[in-house]
Amino acid sequence: MTQQTDLLQGTLDLLVLKTLTLGPLHGWGISKRIRQLSQDALDVGQGSLYPALYRLEDAGCIEATWGISAEGKRAKIYELTALGKKQFAKSQNQWQSFLTAVEHVLSAT
Amino acid sequence: MWYRRLARRVRALLHRADVERELAEEFRFHIEQEAAELARLHGLSPDEARRRALVAFGGVEKWRESHHDARGTRWLEESWHDVSFAVRSLRRNRGFASAVVLTLALGIGVNTAMFTLLHGTLLRPLPNHDGERLVYLRQSAPAAKHDNVLFSVPEIADYRAGAKTLSAIAEYSGAVPFTLVGSDGQPVRLRVGIVSGNYFSVMGLEPVLGRLTSARDDGAAAAPVAVLSYDYWMERFGGDPKVIGRTVRLNDMVVTIVGVVQRAPLYPRPTDIYANTVTSPHHLSATMVTDRSHRMSELFAHLAPNTTVEQARAEISRISSNLFRDHPEAYEKAAHYEIGVSQLRQAVNERAARMFWLLMGAAAFVLLIACANVANLTLMRGVGREREMLVRAALGAGTARLRRLLVMENLTLALIGGAIGVLVAFAGLKLLVAFAAQFSPRAYEVRVDAVVLGVGLATSIAAAFALSFIPRIGGDRALATSLAPVGRRSTLGRGRQRFQRSLVVAQIAVCMVLLTGAGLLVRTLAKLQSVDTGVHAEHVLTIDLPLQGDLLREVMKQPENLAKYERIRDRVAALPGVETASIGSTAPLRNSMADFDLKAEGRILPPNRPTPHAAMRTADTGYFAAAGIPLLAGRGFQSTDRRGSGLVVVLNQSFARQLFGDLNPVGQRIAWTGQVLKYTPFTGDWRTVVGIVGDTRDRGLDNDPTPTVYLPFAQEMILNGALVVRTSADPAELQAMIVRSIHDVAPRQLIEKVRTIDQIRDENVAPRRLNALFITSFGTLAFVIAMVGIAGVLAFSVSSRTAEIGIRMSLGADARRVRSMVLGEGGVLLAFGLTLGFAAALFAARLLRSLLFGVTPHDPVTLGGVALVLAAVGVAACWLPAARAARVDPAVALRAE
Repeated sequence: MTQQTDLLQGTLDLLVLKTLTLGPLHGWGISKRIRQLSQDALDVGQGSLYPALYRLEDAGCIEATWGISAEGKRAKIYELTALGKKQFAKSQNQWQSFLTAVEHVLSAT
Repeated sequence: MWYRRLARRVRALLHRADVERELAEEFRFHIEQEAAELARLHGLSPDEARRRALVAFGGVEKWRESHHDARGTRWLEESWHDVSFAVRSLRRNRGFASAVVLTLALGIGVNTAMFTLLHGTLLRPLPNHDGERLVYLRQSAPAAKHDNVLFSVPEIADYRAGAKTLSAIAEYSGAVPFTLVGSDGQPVRLRVGIVSGNYFSVMGLEPVLGRLTSARDDGAAAAPVAVLSYDYWMERFGGDPKVIGRTVRLNDMVVTIVGVVQRAPLYPRPTDIYANTVTSPHHLSATMVTDRSHRMSELFAHLAPNTTVEQARAEISRISSNLFRDHPEAYEKAAHYEIGVSQLRQAVNERAARMFWLLMGAAAFVLLIACANVANLTLMRGVGREREMLVRAALGAGTARLRRLLVMENLTLALIGGAIGVLVAFAGLKLLVAFAAQFSPRAYEVRVDAVVLGVGLATSIAAAFALSFIPRIGGDRALATSLAPVGRRSTLGRGRQRFQRSLVVAQIAVCMVLLTGAGLLVRTLAKLQSVDTGVHAEHVLTIDLPLQGDLLREVMKQPENLAKYERIRDRVAALPGVETASIGSTAPLRNSMADFDLKAEGRILPPNRPTPHAAMRTADTGYFAAAGIPLLAGRGFQSTDRRGSGLVVVLNQSFARQLFGDLNPVGQRIAWTGQVLKYTPFTGDWRTVVGIVGDTRDRGLDNDPTPTVYLPFAQEMILNGALVVRTSADPAELQAMIVRSIHDVAPRQLIEKVRTIDQIRDENVAPRRLNALFITSFGTLAFVIAMVGIAGVLAFSVSSRTAEIGIRMSLGADARRVRSMVLGEGGVLLAFGLTLGFAAALFAARLLRSLLFGVTPHDPVTLGGVALVLAAVGVAACWLPAARAARVDPAVALRAE
């Protein structure tokens, strides 16, 4: 298994939560949307995506139900829970302050 | 939320197939979508698109694993794997597994058993309410060798009035004999405790039936009532609840049963019935109430709030020194009266505590040895497995995972061992209780309960964990060298070797300690058994024939009782097979009923020496001959020594020497003396010594002969009767006939303690035999385990050095040299172990001192003998592997490498 730092793992969770704020999606849809939104800069490997999804489901941030995809196939659709929304807001703030902090460091002369 | 999470996890574990199917479906969907997208964007063929999608997805299996991780159930699943793996791997190593299980079963079993004992008797709080704050008061006169003289009514009043640290003082008196006449008219002797009304409330005891006594049951005007002890209620009345309100006849007084008291330690002596003071005329008699030296009661007290035992002790000591000063006539100075105040919980187990802790210590040692042995086995097996571990580590198993594997394996072994051990403890419970009952009134509380099982379990788990961290996992040795054919060797690193050897040394040392203890106790037993009891006769049967009813009244009927006893004696003497029958107050080797101070005419006591004190016994003309007590000087009693004729006595040898030294005692005169005498039917008249007889060990084989004065049975008041019958053949065969003929003469006569002299002697030795048996079996256990240990370590050392031995032999070492090399290796371990053990044994044996008789704790015979035996068996244990080493064929050994 690829080694991931907590930071990167947290980032992936944040990305997943963000995509789900836009509406319920299945796993493949999530990976595709991350790709699109990042303009192909971020390609989330399936090997990271699904563990992240299960982890988030386990933590109660998202909920999965079996439904029918836009393509008319049976698929597992993930949806944000109330806890997930709260978690997203929190993570987003943390991420912003982290970015600011890094910027401060990098812009120091 | 947590419950949903938990539910998901449970589902993931229980419905693993469902979860896997869903997972597979989700992945399939993902790959299909990806393939479709690829086909759409890059115009790939469906097959090619699917291939690329699969490649992009990566190994499906691998991601599945990581899903388990994400789900948090992986640990559990793996643990289950580990257990089944452990079971499989142990099945392949049956010899190893059974050796470990057995060794641990012994170690854990012995410990569980001993802990059960300790827990039931010493550790558990008393069943009494607020039992921790109960104290027991003991008045003793150490210089006069009285360890418990009890308390008199005036003394009790003084302590009640003076002691502020004690909120209440309760009395218990078991000194008066009682008989109960049952519904069949046959009298039975009962153990009756005369108690003050507050006894039960002070002791914190509750009734299981009816009521207990209270202050209104005190005094001469109260109605006579009785409270049954739980055991007696069960035994005699079968737990019948209708017993309340029934009456029984205690010493001819009609007493109403008002209640049954809960089960509690019967201390200071076993008690069948508790009765109020009015049931014992003796306790109400004027002399008893007013005389300070007429001591009949044991005292129990409850500590006042916010006081400690120490404060109570200090206060009681202050009060008592005032009493000693104000009433010199009741406290002879040279006797050094003193009062002890001890927590009841401790007093109850005074005799038990040391013995039980000692056994617990011995048991812990056995477990230590067992664990050391198993550690050694594990270590040896660990060498074989070191490669397995390295390979596993190289293939990606984490160190933690491997360690867990070991823990699981050892847990499996230890839990099986522990279970067997607990079963063994369970099976031995009865023996254990019988053993405990010899020392502690709390033996009935010994049982295997949750706490005991918990400790057994904890011991097993602790042992398993300790054992799991001994073998090394991967780490410092590279896999490559370990896998290379040249590096294929199976030895332990230097540090591990040293550790293994220290284990063996420790085992031998511990063994030496245990066996020394066992040896000392066995020698004690042998000494006791060879003690000269002073009774030199075979085929002697003794039968106790007590008076029944109120003793004070019975004593007054001397002529009738004398006639009765003589009739019984003469009838038994006339039986076929009976050589002589005689009667006395007490059977030889049994405690006498009375003992008094004594003075010798014309002898002045040196100052600071307590007044001589002697047991009083009566004997008829044939008593000494029948019991085989030799007449050393003067004459025995004659039929002319009756009431009205000159008062005569016979002394035993040691008392004669104590009183008269080298002077010829025959013809001297002695007289009973002391305050107590005036309340007894015995007079302080001068009596002439007419003879000297040999000493007898009446207070137990391990006690010095008791100073004893014999009076003629027919001349004195009768307190008790005991028949001593000498038969021509085995008395056991005549027993029934003798008992029948006693009943022919006196149909209502109590017949008790029908024992041969050998049986009395045996009863005396029995507790010691149990001690010795317990410690010896522990020692033997440890011994066997340790010997297997040293042999195993050497055998392992030999097998791992086969190549070395091969080289040595090909270079010219002969079989003898190789053998002595291996023997030397074992010998060093033995020598170290024995030296260490010797030092430890010297120290540990001192703890045994109070249990020994006739041997010192540093008995050279025992220490030397044990060391010799250990050394001899140890060398023998080393011989096998040494002989195997000597048989090594250099060619074969080197080729194998």
